[in-house]
Amino acid sequence: MKLKTTLLALGASILMGLAAPVAADDWAPDGPLTIQIGFGAGGSTDTMGRVLAKVMKENTGWDIVVENKPGGGGVAMFTGLSQRPPQGKLIGMGVSIPVLVQLVQRGDQLPFDVDSFDYLGTVARTELALVAGKDAPFDDIAGLVAYAKEQGTLPVATMAPPQVLLMKQTTATTGAEFNLVTADGAAEVLKLILGGQVLVGFAAGEHFPYLESGDMKVITSAGASALSYAPDQGTFADVGVSAYVDPVYYLATTKGTDPAAVAAIAAAIDEATKSPEMAEIVKNATQGEPLNLGVEGTHQMMTEGLAAAQILFAK
Amino acid sequence: MVDLTTILAGFADAFTLFNLAFVLLGVALGQFVGAVPGIGPIMAMAIAIPFTFGLDPLPAIAFLVGVNKGGLVGGAVPAILMNTPGTPDAAATAMDGHPLAKQGKPLKATKMALFSSVTGDTFSDIVLITVSAPLAILALKMGPIEVVALMIFAFSILAGLIGNSLIKGIIAAMLGLLFASIGQDPENFTPRLIFGYWDLFDGLALPSVAIGMLAISEILHRMSEAHGNVQSTIVNKDTGNPDDRRVTWAEYWSCRFTMLRGATIGTILGALPGIGSTAAAFMSYAMTKASSKDPGSFGKGNIQGIAASESANSAVVGANLIPLLTLGIPGSVGAALIISAFMIHGMQPGPLLFENQGRLVYGLFGAMIMANFVNLWVGQIGLRIWVKVVSAPESIIFASALLLCIVGVAMATSGLFGVAIMLIFAVLGYLMSSFGYSLVIFIIAFFLGPRFEKSIAQSLALTNGDLTQVFKSPVAVALLVLSVVSVIWFLRKNAQAEQGLPLDEPSE
Amino acid sequence: MLTSADRISGIFFLLFGLAMYLYVNPNYIEATEGGNISPNTVPNIVSIVMAVCGGLLALKPTNHRAHSSRSMAITGFYVALLTVGLYAMSWFGFEYVAPVLALAIMWAIGERRPLWLGLGVVVVPAVIWFLVTQILGRALP
Repeated sequence: MKLKTTLLALGASILMGLAAPVAADDWAPDGPLTIQIGFGAGGSTDTMGRVLAKVMKENTGWDIVVENKPGGGGVAMFTGLSQRPPQGKLIGMGVSIPVLVQLVQRGDQLPFDVDSFDYLGTVARTELALVAGKDAPFDDIAGLVAYAKEQGTLPVATMAPPQVLLMKQTTATTGAEFNLVTADGAAEVLKLILGGQVLVGFAAGEHFPYLESGDMKVITSAGASALSYAPDQGTFADVGVSAYVDPVYYLATTKGTDPAAVAAIAAAIDEATKSPEMAEIVKNATQGEPLNLGVEGTHQMMTEGLAAAQILFAK
Repeated sequence: MVDLTTILAGFADAFTLFNLAFVLLGVALGQFVGAVPGIGPIMAMAIAIPFTFGLDPLPAIAFLVGVNKGGLVGGAVPAILMNTPGTPDAAATAMDGHPLAKQGKPLKATKMALFSSVTGDTFSDIVLITVSAPLAILALKMGPIEVVALMIFAFSILAGLIGNSLIKGIIAAMLGLLFASIGQDPENFTPRLIFGYWDLFDGLALPSVAIGMLAISEILHRMSEAHGNVQSTIVNKDTGNPDDRRVTWAEYWSCRFTMLRGATIGTILGALPGIGSTAAAFMSYAMTKASSKDPGSFGKGNIQGIAASESANSAVVGANLIPLLTLGIPGSVGAALIISAFMIHGMQPGPLLFENQGRLVYGLFGAMIMANFVNLWVGQIGLRIWVKVVSAPESIIFASALLLCIVGVAMATSGLFGVAIMLIFAVLGYLMSSFGYSLVIFIIAFFLGPRFEKSIAQSLALTNGDLTQVFKSPVAVALLVLSVVSVIWFLRKNAQAEQGLPLDEPSE
Repeated sequence: MLTSADRISGIFFLLFGLAMYLYVNPNYIEATEGGNISPNTVPNIVSIVMAVCGGLLALKPTNHRAHSSRSMAITGFYVALLTVGLYAMSWFGFEYVAPVLALAIMWAIGERRPLWLGLGVVVVPAVIWFLVTQILGRALP
């Protein structure tokens, strides 16, 4: 064990000397730093997380391992994270809204709450959109609601509980009935739309190539404001629905982690989000720009988000 | 779609010594890591991805393609040599591969696996390179209803693997489905049967269950046999006949229809996201056994069994790239890892991939072709080494394999919790096989269970709960009819086989 | 042991299926509103089918033979050894437990040759440690 520590210390010091770290304070992880991603491989969170890890590794010289731990829109991963000892060795990357909705709906059963974590920062805000195949007989949310009423019911592909709740709110507000088809992620939503099994579904940016190729069109934004790339399509508020879904990709670690570690990791994340590589991958994944709210800002976002979710998504 | 100059430029980019070196490195790493008990091909990919961060896109992709294809070949090695498959799909290979190895022909068995794996892989690569676009569109038309029908068909083919008791086969399948239902339910995401263990929220991890059931339970069984009685794992009674160390052309050629059928099944299932290589390997195995003139020789070292399983599970992996490249939809865990690696290297799978990045895609195809040849060549050397390694005494093989499985599962499931689950399933697997329940049926049911439940939920949503809508889908109806036919046919075959055999036959 | 193995396992699955259906599923599966398949549908169907099949098997067993009770006892010993090993690993870490566990397993199997023991107890764990922590940069359990 001693030999190992010595070797590691030696290795780390050599690495530090070689890599000339920009933001390395005194703190460096003891062994590899693992980033757990709360979604499966291949999705937008996964891709951004892996590039983030790569840039952080290049900048700091730390050994960073990326793992996927999907389930419950990130809840499985954050559950595990909250149960770990705070050693500064494991951080989680997830999306705000699914976690907040689970906290609102099942908070008494979950072994964590918003304050169970030390927040490290955010990577990007994504614009969740309702998209449809190019042949769908409606072009906006009002048309969709009218079409659903005319047909009696309309299948809609969803990929997480918040979207289910948003559609239920839509039913409650407008009286239009929807059949909710649960898909395993945006890739499956797109498959269902392309295959003609459903007309509309939710996607968080995975649909851009299909907008470009003309196979799909945007119906509306599922967020609080209109989509930056389709400002004319409006939001669910156009049909009187007050709920919205505004997912932010964020990182956190177990509460009680050494403040020096939190500061060093947060600094590394901040530096990475400013890199051109991150800008490119965030652009590819969300059409937007990297966004880091910082340690305090992320905590505030989660606290305020929970209050908002309690109003919007209460049972 | 893509003009010829782009295709040629892509291939020219690929066929350089520099890329060949990376393919070679990838194949060697994949074969080696894939063959270590407890690690397996998917872990090999997960481990390899970070190494490619510093590389240019094409060598990086060439390297990963090499790891992926090498891992496929490597995965069959522990299944054949030690009867400890690390992945469920290799369990089909073990059924005939291990008996053949025990007869003193380990090299023949592993080489047959190598050749049929490369054959199946090459077949699906050719399909991918030539007709991926139309195939992907066909696959899109397979909606949830058709997928449910296809999975029922896959289950019905399993009837061919049920031993002498239908009831015990059903119990094994039900137990698999029950364990598959642990974790969040696929539609409402509520925690189900987790008993307060939030680590189970995402379900029992497949590596824990598969390695525990298939590998550790076998090691436990063998340790109790070896207890106090040390010998080499494979009593290598070298027959002295050089033909037993190689696969003759006549033997390879005699498997041509088996491999063609396996590769076709693998390609079809691989092009449809979500079914996976396990079902393909067992469907191919069961069909080959059923259509054989001598079904009694299966499970006792028939090379046709190895050819059936390996050609099918390897074909799946090439075919997984069809929906992945053309639609951006990964069909399996392995494919999902590949897509995220591709995206990190700036490749954007999807409808515009061939137009925007045609040269890179054909570079990838070039790398795949190279990897197939390299696989054959490295395999010839690598297999000899592995056969030597497992001829060490059983004591050290078992101890090392156990340590490796512990480390491998701990890495795959991030922690000792997954290892504890592995041990529980090892005991369950040991008890089930002692009492004559099929582990393979359990594993397949466990593997397909969540997908099956989700597809049924999706179908119900799409049809508004009206199941008669199924009759509007000719594909689904055809598959359901085929399922009924195959169940009846397999059960009659089983009954016939049973009449001719003593009832003491173990039902594994 | 001729026909009793199937009776034992049949009765076990009968009771297990019933216990799941009557007690475990209702208590450990949440009820939800809406949705197309209720979370308890699949576990309930599976439990019932298992109980019925278990009952049928107990009534009409095949003549399957289980392993001898001696070999089961030996397996139980190895399982206990591994359980203790894993428990120790969660406290002391892989580096310390792995060589001891390897030694215990090899010794129990009957290995006494120092060369092979040395290889299994020292070299193999060291190689694993080197590969995992140094080459792959992962943490050992």
